[in-house]
Amino acid sequence: MSSVDPSKDRLSARQITRRLIKSRQRERKASDGRARTTSVACDDLYLELSRWVGLDGCHALFTRALASARTESAALDQIQLRPGSEPYLDGVAESIISRGDAATAEALEAMLVHVVELLGRLIGDDMATNLIERSIAAPKRDNATSDDRREEA
Amino acid sequence: MKGDERAVIRSLPSGVPGLDTVLAGGLPEFSFNLIAGGPGSGKTILAHQIMFANATAKKPALYFTVLGEPTLKMLRYQQQFTFFDSALVGSAVQFINLSAEVMERDLAEVLRRIASETERVNPGIVIVDSFRTIRAQYGTADVAATLELDQFVQRLAMNLTTWEVTSLLLGEYTEEEQRNPVFTVADGILWLSQATDRNSVVRKLQIVKTRGRAPMPGLHTFRITDDGLQIFPRIPEQTRKRQPQRRERLSTGVEGLDDMIGGGVVAGDAVMLTGPAGSGKSTIATQFMVAGLAKGETGVIAVFEEYPEEYLARANARNSDIGKMLKNGALELIYLRPLDLSVDEALAAILEAVERLNAKRVVIDSLSGFEVALAPTFREDFRESLYRLVGALTATGVTVFMTAEVSEAFSEARFTSENVSFITDEIIVQRYVEIKGELRRVMAVIKMRGSDHSHEFRSYEVTAKGVVVGGSLTEYDGIITGVPTLHAKLVGLKRRK
Repeated sequence: MSSVDPSKDRLSARQITRRLIKSRQRERKASDGRARTTSVACDDLYLELSRWVGLDGCHALFTRALASARTESAALDQIQLRPGSEPYLDGVAESIISRGDAATAEALEAMLVHVVELLGRLIGDDMATNLIERSIAAPKRDNATSDDRREEA
Repeated sequence: MKGDERAVIRSLPSGVPGLDTVLAGGLPEFSFNLIAGGPGSGKTILAHQIMFANATAKKPALYFTVLGEPTLKMLRYQQQFTFFDSALVGSAVQFINLSAEVMERDLAEVLRRIASETERVNPGIVIVDSFRTIRAQYGTADVAATLELDQFVQRLAMNLTTWEVTSLLLGEYTEEEQRNPVFTVADGILWLSQATDRNSVVRKLQIVKTRGRAPMPGLHTFRITDDGLQIFPRIPEQTRKRQPQRRERLSTGVEGLDDMIGGGVVAGDAVMLTGPAGSGKSTIATQFMVAGLAKGETGVIAVFEEYPEEYLARANARNSDIGKMLKNGALELIYLRPLDLSVDEALAAILEAVERLNAKRVVIDSLSGFEVALAPTFREDFRESLYRLVGALTATGVTVFMTAEVSEAFSEARFTSENVSFITDEIIVQRYVEIKGELRRVMAVIKMRGSDHSHEFRSYEVTAKGVVVGGSLTEYDGIITGVPTLHAKLVGLKRRK
C-alpha cells in the first residue's frame, strides 16, 4: 500500500482545485476572466485524467461532479460536457454572459472540487492528489489556440 | 552455443514469493510474456505485483489499460494489496488508457500509441491489460482481420523487445485458444487457473512456455492474500540424497522408549507414531520436541488438528519449557488448517520455518489432520504427496516426527494409517488392550530401518508429566488382538496354586 508519509499535511479538495486553477492563471492573458481560466483548468484536468482512466471513465467522473455541483449552483445550468472534444466544457461563454464571470467561475470551481473529492473517494486521496498534481505540472496548452477553439465552439 | 559470446539474459525478480523458483530465476529480461487465465484467476494482481517490484523512477513501468476492468476500479481494488505503493503512481508507475485507440481507431494506432509512450517514458516494464480485448475488438472472422492481428502481435513484440522492455500481456484465454498467434510469439506463457472440487477451489499456475530456460514443470498451487500472490512450487520427487548423518541418536524424551528403539530416534530419519484417539501421540511428540529444545536444538511443530492456543496450553501444562522456547524463538508453532491446503503450501510453510530457525526437529501432528486440511483434490493422491513432503523435509537433514491416528477395532490391529508406512524409517505403534477388565495402553516398535529394536509390547501411562513406559507384557498372549490372555504356563501355575 501507500508509502506516502501520513504525517504530511493533506491538502483539501478545495486547496488542490485552487492550485490547479492558479497554475492555469499564470499562463493566461491578463484580460482573461476567472471563469475562462477555471474552464481551461477543467479541460486540462479532463485531458490529463483521460490518459489514465480513459475518456469514458473520466467523462463519468465529470458527469457525476457536474450533477452534484448543479444542486449547489444554478450557474452551471448552461454548462455541458462534450466527451472527446476540445474544449471539453461547452456553454462557458453563454454562462458568463447570463450569470457573470464570478458566478460562473465559482460554479466551475465547485464542479472541480467535486471531481477531486470523488476521485479521492474512489482511489484514495493520496493517489488522487498524485494524478491531479500531474495535471498541475503538465505543459500548458497554447492560450491562443485554446481560446480560438473555445470561440469556435 | 559454444564460447563466451552468447547474450546474457538477466532475470528480473518477480516480487512474487515462489515464482522465481518456478521460473528458474525470474522473468527473463526483455522477454515478451503472456499471463493467461480465466476471470478472477489473479492475472491483474500478478501483473501489478511484478510491476511494483520492478518499477523505479529511472526505469518506470507503463500499464496500458484497454477495455476490460475500468482503470478507476482497478486502482481502487489493487491499492488494497500491501505491494501497491501509491507514492509510485504517477512517476515510477504510469497508467495509460488505450480504449479510445481500440474503439475508435485501428491496430496501427494502438501500436503507434504504445510505441510513442514507450519512447517517451523509456520504461523497464510494459503491461497491456487486457490484451484479449484488443483481439476481440478486431475479431478473427475474416482472413484480413486475422492477418492484421498477427502482424500487430509480431510488431508489438519486436517493438517492445528492441526498446529493451520486459512486457506482460494479460488476457482471458481458454485452453482451446492456444493456437492464437500471441501464444506463438510470446517468449513466456504463465497460465493461471482455478480448479473447483466439491466445495474447495484450488488456484494453480503453470509455466506453459519459457524461452531459453527450463522452468519447474507441473502445476504449482498458489494463494491470493493481502500481500498478493504466493506461489508454492510443486515439490519435485526427491532425487537429492539425504544429508549425510552421523547416525546420531536423538532422545525421544520418553523414559523407556529410547531403550525400545536402540537408544533413540536416528537423526535425519522420518518417524511415525500411530495410535487410536487418546493414546498419547501428541504428548510423546511434544516430549520429543522438548528433549531437543533442552539440548539447545531448535524445532518446528506443525499443528493440523487443534488450534495453536489449545495445543500450547496442553503442552505447557506438561512442560512449561514449550512456552518459553516459543517466546525465545527456539521453537515455532505452525498452524495449518484451511481445508483447501495443498501439500506444497504446507511444505513451503514448514521448510521456511526450518530454514529460519535452522531447526533440527520437526513434529507434524497429525497426518490425519493434515489429510483433512488438504483440498479434496489433493487427498486423492495423499500417499504420493506425503512421500514428496517427507522426502523434501528429510533431505534437509531435519528429523521428522509424525503422528497418525488409526481407528481401532479390538479384534483387528491396524499398525499404520493409510498405508503410508513406506515413507517412514521408524514406526512406533500404540494401542489399547483389555487386561483384567481394565483398559490399558501398550506400545511396540515395528520398524527401525537399519537398526535393531525391541520386539516387546510395553505398557505405558500418560501422566501429568508425560508418557512413562512401563514393563513388558511377556506374560500375556494375544496382545495384538486387544484382548490378551495369560500365557498358558502361567495359567497352569495359578491353577496349581
